[in-house]
Amino acid sequence: MADKKKLSVAEILAAARKADGGGDAEQEAPASEPAASDSEATKPAAEEKKPAAKPAAKPAAKKSGGGRPSVAEMLAAARAEKQGGAAETKDTEKPAAKPAAKPAAAKAADKPAAKASPKPDPAPVKASAPKDTGSILAAARNESKPGPMSKAEAARRSGDGKQSAKAQKPRITVPPMPVKPEYAKPKEPKKEADAERRGFLMGVLLGSLFGIGWTSTAMTFGLWTLGTARFMFPNVLTEPPSQFKVGFPSDFTPGQVETKFKAQYGVWVVNYEYEGVPSIYALRSVCTHLGCTPNWLEGEQKFKCPCHGSGFYKDGINFEGPAPRPLERFGIRIADDGQIEIDKSKLFQEEIGQWSDPASYVPV
Amino acid sequence: MHGSYTDFIEGISPFLGGYYLALSAMNAVMAFYLWHYKHKTGQAVFWVVVSFLLVAVASAAMGGSPLGIPEDIRKFIDWATGPVIYSVGTTALLVIAYLARRWLVQPMVGWSLLNLSLVVMGLSMANMNFAAIVTKPDNVPIVGLVFLLGFFTWLATAKAVENDDRAREGLPPTESLDNEKVLVWPDLVYTELICMIALTAFLLVWGIALQAPLEEPASAVKTPNPSKAPWYFLGLQEMLVYYDPWMAGVLLPSLIIVGLMAIPFLDFNKQGNGYYTIEQRKFSYIVFQLGFLELWVTLIILGTFFRGPNWNIFGPFEYWDAHKVLALNNVDLSQYFWVDGMGRGLPKAPAGSGLGTQIGYILLRESPGIVLLALYFIVLPPLMAVTFFRGFFAKMGFVRYMLMANLLLFMVALPLKMVLRWVWNLKYIVAIPEYFLNF
Repeated sequence: MADKKKLSVAEILAAARKADGGGDAEQEAPASEPAASDSEATKPAAEEKKPAAKPAAKPAAKKSGGGRPSVAEMLAAARAEKQGGAAETKDTEKPAAKPAAKPAAAKAADKPAAKASPKPDPAPVKASAPKDTGSILAAARNESKPGPMSKAEAARRSGDGKQSAKAQKPRITVPPMPVKPEYAKPKEPKKEADAERRGFLMGVLLGSLFGIGWTSTAMTFGLWTLGTARFMFPNVLTEPPSQFKVGFPSDFTPGQVETKFKAQYGVWVVNYEYEGVPSIYALRSVCTHLGCTPNWLEGEQKFKCPCHGSGFYKDGINFEGPAPRPLERFGIRIADDGQIEIDKSKLFQEEIGQWSDPASYVPV
Repeated sequence: MHGSYTDFIEGISPFLGGYYLALSAMNAVMAFYLWHYKHKTGQAVFWVVVSFLLVAVASAAMGGSPLGIPEDIRKFIDWATGPVIYSVGTTALLVIAYLARRWLVQPMVGWSLLNLSLVVMGLSMANMNFAAIVTKPDNVPIVGLVFLLGFFTWLATAKAVENDDRAREGLPPTESLDNEKVLVWPDLVYTELICMIALTAFLLVWGIALQAPLEEPASAVKTPNPSKAPWYFLGLQEMLVYYDPWMAGVLLPSLIIVGLMAIPFLDFNKQGNGYYTIEQRKFSYIVFQLGFLELWVTLIILGTFFRGPNWNIFGPFEYWDAHKVLALNNVDLSQYFWVDGMGRGLPKAPAGSGLGTQIGYILLRESPGIVLLALYFIVLPPLMAVTFFRGFFAKMGFVRYMLMANLLLFMVALPLKMVLRWVWNLKYIVAIPEYFLNF
């Protein structure tokens, strides 16, 4: 690390403080010592850096007399400058601007003055002092051009300076308003009893940008809430009736799997046999593996699930894929009018022996 | 059918032409690099020749007759991607890649493999069924990821082999040589910014070039056929084919997560921290490659490219026929044992018996599977401890060793079950559908 001459953060800060401190660099130097010596490896680097930092700070201190201005001084200078020519012209040398940053403010105050006016008295300071941020900013604010300027320009500039200096609070002279034409004059407001109250309400809700913002936000959220509430009640009947008729037993030819009720009711009506007994039963079209909807494949004579490949025979018994148990049956019976009625509220599972329940099939 | 085939060839030919031209340019750049920077003229000449050959192939494709793979080879590949050969074959490939890693990590070998796979893909694209699967907007990124994964696996192996060679000579790993500190700002943040911009540009181009894979409106009673999970879950979906939903959907995924969390506590090997190595962490390396490449990635590839309608397995050049008939009569172990082995019916509780009797009969019915599972999970770990895991047991202690062994056995249970299903049509070893207990 040391041979790469990389500085730790502490060292960089110390060096920066030294450079910032200007004339105080001498006193601050020991302060950086402990920071540097806390690790053996970083010590040489710190030692090496210290002399580098000191000369950098010293010439600056010599040149400007007061040392290179610290950040605080630059800020103070900028602040002092902001108050315009006030400090500058009333008393150029008056250092009473800010007691806290006394020397800095004084110095800063006279520097811009030197730039703004061609009077040569603080000029040497300007020439010798390094350009710090404060002065550059001030120069920019004063719109002073670098380089020579014409006499007229100089006169104008100095005049400006004086004028602005004199008017610490510049008097605003308002040009006379043009006379309003008749049509532009405000009409007499119609007197209403609640006009004032309404005006108050509108003022609160729409009177300011703040009010408009909050009002529109509240309205948006209100509409959202209403929309969400509406969303909970869709325009469809969510549950088809759990009992429905599918036709007469004679409508189902033996060996047929009727798939036309699958889309609406989720059921296959099958006229086949179970354990040798011919019967009509209603199979629920939900795979017993993970609940996908299988398809009836007429060519293969099986129900096949597209999700994980479970397969079921025509009687609903699982035979391939991962489905652990047969398809479920719905309740089925012959209604009073002779039609087959399916009851989806009743389920019959083969693996617990419920298919022998007479409510789960219609004998043919 | 024939008319649509000519349409297909007309549509794919310009794309394939551009594809081969890009490959040709890629090889030309490599040849220039080898000649100019590496001064390997012989290799450079070889890749220039390859580049010119690819230009010829590209011009054939541009002319409307792209080269394809002969039918006999297509048939062979379709056969070889059957489940048994696919799973055993990928395992064999992994073993070969492990044993021959020193040969594989040579840059020219890697480059040749990349070229080979890209050219084979281009040739296969001239087949309608293959192109239909590979160019599906869902699958395009997966194809890209397969190549990306191959590259990163190769890169990591190359670095590990280099480090292993250095370790044998007593040198520190390459990662420790470059220990210069870099700053978050600007070094890292700048890189991230550039990556961010590049990725955004890439996504924009992708979003414009490829249409979103939207399907018909959802319906509660109509399931798309085949119905596929997002590509990163296809391994789980494949697992669900072999196990009960409670096992494959709840228990095994939880075990995967718990097992990954347990790794730092089970791992006693202090080596290999912060650098690539294979020699110093052989066990961890093999287990990871098995778990990630074999049990996760190859299952994703299987699910993406080889699972077709009705969740049947189709070869890459096979037409996705929704009426393909496969004999998949799955049989539980109890059925095999009692009906086929003993020649009698399944033990069944007499009608009207109490709950205790019923459970007793169920346990009797499933006793072969229960005994088998007990052997696998209870007897096998101590057996391993006194045989090939002797050193592990000594270092880890009883509890840690048993945890490790059981997690490992659960992991290996998946390929074992797959092979059992494919070879003997075994459905469940223990099947108690009455109480949702199936294994």
